[in-house]
Amino acid sequence: MSALIGAPAVALVLALTLLRLHIGPTLYDRALAAYSVITKAALICAALAAADGRAAFVEAAFALVLGGFVLSVAVLKVFRAGTFQTPMARGEER
Amino acid sequence: MVQIALSVVGGFLIVIGLAFMAGGTLGLLRFPDLYTRLHAVRVADGPGAVIFILGLAVVSGDIGVALRLILLAALVAALGPTLAHLTANAAHAGGLAPIAGAYTAPRPGRAP
Repeated sequence: MSALIGAPAVALVLALTLLRLHIGPTLYDRALAAYSVITKAALICAALAAADGRAAFVEAAFALVLGGFVLSVAVLKVFRAGTFQTPMARGEER
Repeated sequence: MVQIALSVVGGFLIVIGLAFMAGGTLGLLRFPDLYTRLHAVRVADGPGAVIFILGLAVVSGDIGVALRLILLAALVAALGPTLAHLTANAAHAGGLAPIAGAYTAPRPGRAP
């Protein structure tokens, strides 16, 4: 019962996080808000699993969290270097 | 009797987690800087999510679902601070200077 109430509340929080994802001034703000959105989607999946008693929703939440983490690490690596073609060696130019 | 006690404790944990998440998301919307927003999201929002999932694990009657939810809580608790460190490190190396607070670290961007 409280799990069924928790899912729309997390959805409301997710909508507020989407606002930051929309207006975020820098790329790093958007990366932070994007992983937060993915985590809250996983929370909604977990709430539905606890309300329904089906374990497959929890495994969907696992997939969301792990995939979102790997995606965020890759995207932050690109943002840090500023280019897709990073030098192979740690350069002398800096 | 046990069912009622589990339901009350789980509902209490869910409400506490939702309050933490609401505060963290309000900080994400209202704070002036990436680094302060990072504090709001990862210090208030991450433990809120973990408490919320633990409350779901208490509420769900099935033992398999409860064990999976506890594993999901451990995963979220482990991955959130790691990603917070990566975000701050990438922003600092990418040359984003903080605009709030006393700033004593070396200047971002190029090596000192």
